[in-house]
Amino acid sequence: MLTIILNEWKILVRNRAIVYITILFILSLVSVVWMGVVQNINQKEIQQSAQKHIRSQWDNLKPMNPHRAAHYGSYAFKPISILNSLDDGISAITGNVLKLEGHVQNEIVYSEASQAISLSKFGKLKSSLLLQYMIPLFLIFLAYSSISSEKESGRLKLLVFQGVSFFKLIFSKSISIWFYGLFLLTITISAQTFLGVVNQEVLYRIALIFLSYACYYYVIACLTTYFSAYLKDNTSALSSILATWIIWTIFLPRIWGNSVEKFYPLPSRQDFKATMKEDRSKGIDGHNPTDERREKLKNRYLKEYNVDSLKQLPINFDGIVMQEDEEYGNLVWDKHFGSNYAIYKSQKKLYQLSGILNPFASLQSLSMGLCGNDMVHHLDFLEKAEKYRRYLIKELNDKHAFGGSKTGNWKWTVDETFFKSVEGFNYRSPSIYEKIVHYIRDIFFLMTWMFVTTLLLRFNINKNNLL
Amino acid sequence: MNRYLKIVLIEFSHFSRSPFKITSLIFYVLAVIYGCQNGYALIKKHNDEIISIKSGYKSHIDKMLVQYEEIEKGSIKKPRRDPSVPYWAIWNTPSYAFKYPSPMMVFSLGQSEQYGYYKKVSNWSTTFDNDLAQEIANPERLSIGTLDFNFVLIYLTPILLIIMLFNIGGLERDMNFNKLIYLSNVTKKNWLMARFLFYFILLIILLLSLLSFYGLLSGVFQNEIISFFNLLLLVFIYVLVWVTIFYIINFSGSGSPDQALKMISTWLILCIIIPGAFHQFSSLKHPTNYMTDYLDVSRDQKYAIFELSTDVHQSKLVESFPNLKNTKYAADTTVDRSIVSKCISALVNELNKKVASQIEKSSEDKNQFIKRYFLFNPVIYFQNKVNAFSKTDYYAYRDYRQHIQSIIDKKINFILEDTWNKVIIKKEKYIQYVEIFE
Repeated sequence: MLTIILNEWKILVRNRAIVYITILFILSLVSVVWMGVVQNINQKEIQQSAQKHIRSQWDNLKPMNPHRAAHYGSYAFKPISILNSLDDGISAITGNVLKLEGHVQNEIVYSEASQAISLSKFGKLKSSLLLQYMIPLFLIFLAYSSISSEKESGRLKLLVFQGVSFFKLIFSKSISIWFYGLFLLTITISAQTFLGVVNQEVLYRIALIFLSYACYYYVIACLTTYFSAYLKDNTSALSSILATWIIWTIFLPRIWGNSVEKFYPLPSRQDFKATMKEDRSKGIDGHNPTDERREKLKNRYLKEYNVDSLKQLPINFDGIVMQEDEEYGNLVWDKHFGSNYAIYKSQKKLYQLSGILNPFASLQSLSMGLCGNDMVHHLDFLEKAEKYRRYLIKELNDKHAFGGSKTGNWKWTVDETFFKSVEGFNYRSPSIYEKIVHYIRDIFFLMTWMFVTTLLLRFNINKNNLL
Repeated sequence: MNRYLKIVLIEFSHFSRSPFKITSLIFYVLAVIYGCQNGYALIKKHNDEIISIKSGYKSHIDKMLVQYEEIEKGSIKKPRRDPSVPYWAIWNTPSYAFKYPSPMMVFSLGQSEQYGYYKKVSNWSTTFDNDLAQEIANPERLSIGTLDFNFVLIYLTPILLIIMLFNIGGLERDMNFNKLIYLSNVTKKNWLMARFLFYFILLIILLLSLLSFYGLLSGVFQNEIISFFNLLLLVFIYVLVWVTIFYIINFSGSGSPDQALKMISTWLILCIIIPGAFHQFSSLKHPTNYMTDYLDVSRDQKYAIFELSTDVHQSKLVESFPNLKNTKYAADTTVDRSIVSKCISALVNELNKKVASQIEKSSEDKNQFIKRYFLFNPVIYFQNKVNAFSKTDYYAYRDYRQHIQSIIDKKINFILEDTWNKVIIKKEKYIQYVEIFE
């Protein structure tokens, strides 16, 4: 088997066109990784400077009532993932700026895609674009005639008569082409490791990315060789595998992607806001002094502090009301945003199921997930930003309530020492260990495809037909 | 001439005997229908949503009218937000800015999924408010994209052509009887052209029929006939460009696999690699804008205005809106805080307008950068042209933002004029407001 693989590689190396294309591929992959890294660094600097700018405004706030500061709020800027230079996934589509303020959980806004006319429908020229579209296609072109041309020239008969096992011959040819894919993949991964930032987490992710693409290339190499062996001539083999490639990469992702939204529909923004507003109105209205629920809360606090009026309270009841309002609001946000997030997750699971028919879908999902640019990581950012918002507003409301002011004293202010003491938003991207559970289906389907294509090569080729 | 006509007709029998090509064509037709259906469904969804919003604000207007009647009769006390004050009356005048879907949207969803298409406008609104965010949608689905007619035309049409054309001239070479053909008094150039012509005509007829059907269904012939014919012309040119490229490939090709390889590589380079490269370059040159200038206005600079004294507010208002000098309040010698404070949004709006124009300029710079290289990135040129005809491109939404700004300005002008003229709002005046902002 090793002899056949080495022999195939010798043939590859002897072919000048393939050598030139390989050099071109290597240069493209390295320069694309380098460009991605440069873009990452630039974007990261801009993001960090925006975050610092907002923080310095917060740190230097003029003396202000805490509730006013809650309305003033803060902003969270979505950071760039370290492996954005490999695959930027959904990052151009999602917003980048999230306002964190009192009374409301906002949505993330200002996506890159909304800031200019439409560009590529397949994303930026990142390594993933080459690894997902170019290299598999090139592997197809290398493999489609691997058996059929041997068949047409009669060399196949010679090889079989020399005692070479039929399966070994076909499988070795697949493996030799797969190794070529792995070679280009190794170049990309090495370039990323040398040019980009590397830590343990990045290494884990890169290793998994390598394995995912390796699985996909294996499927492509085996399936193309299978078509080459199974079908009568080069043209049939090439047209069949190209049709499969087109269905996998162009048709199915879009059709299945659109269909999952029909299976698990999301509410319209209007309905979402209306139902949230309705639920929200059932709680305390922090800004309405005649609200009934506010009265109940007031009586509870008067009783607790054993006083007759709000003026006698040693604390500022307004802060208590605001926090009570927040707590109720949080339940409402959790219900409605939570429901949307659950729908997103169901949609993703259903989309991942398309991996049964389409290993490309599993690869794409894994690639953006492992690079930290898929919906799972996006939701993680949103959830952590919301957690921070709750912390920030609670700090402000507690200061309002227990900081030394009295009820009704809206002119009472706190100075920058307090604002500086409130922690800033520091987002830590989740480790792959925490999130790997979301990609089990993708891994499973890719491995199943590997298994199935190997079985196809082993059992579904009629020797008599071939010879 | 008749000989070439005969070749075109013979190509029909070749085509009809190829189940692979017929199946591909059927899939393509289904994709066009599916794409147009997606566009049609989105038009319907947008229209339904707009109708539902409009019906919602009609009930609000009815409530307000009852409130005015009761206040005028004296049966209820004036609420905290007194509707007889121009500020609160205008606050309670529902005004939405809608981006009505063009019937041409049936052919391209374009960037419509990146932006909001309705917005409740108040005197405090801006053109970059949070509520102008895109409809709630799965970001991964958005990233993969929707299969609309534009996608089918731009990306799948060349693929269909590859399937139809890859073995034309190649099959004869594969089987080594290509030279026989040229013996029958036809030139290679004309023979290939005649065969290509069949597929070109077939595809054009098919596309024109499907486009006309969906055009009729969505109502483009009533409102968007010029855009529709522009689209037809664009489709014609686009298909012709690809047919020409493939003709050149086949003319110099050395067999079906070689032609298929060259064709699919050309498609990959023109449709994926070059657009992807320009996408990446534009991001390097014009990185994502985190809108900090806008955020500064919406917080710090707004708060700085709030901090100013009433005197300063008044003088700034008069400076920015000189027509206020001719109002009743301008003749007063004392400063009325309740009047001036209700007009602060006008000062904030001026700041918002200034920063919005900077943001639009930076986006326009990026657009110009992309457009400058359209010659090298032709596929994206065609894609954006279809979006423009369908009014789903960046510029359609920029116009929508300008429309929102004009409503904000109008609201502010009414607040300024009527507050400074000390107008007391009654039911009739409120109805006038409603009619103006409807």
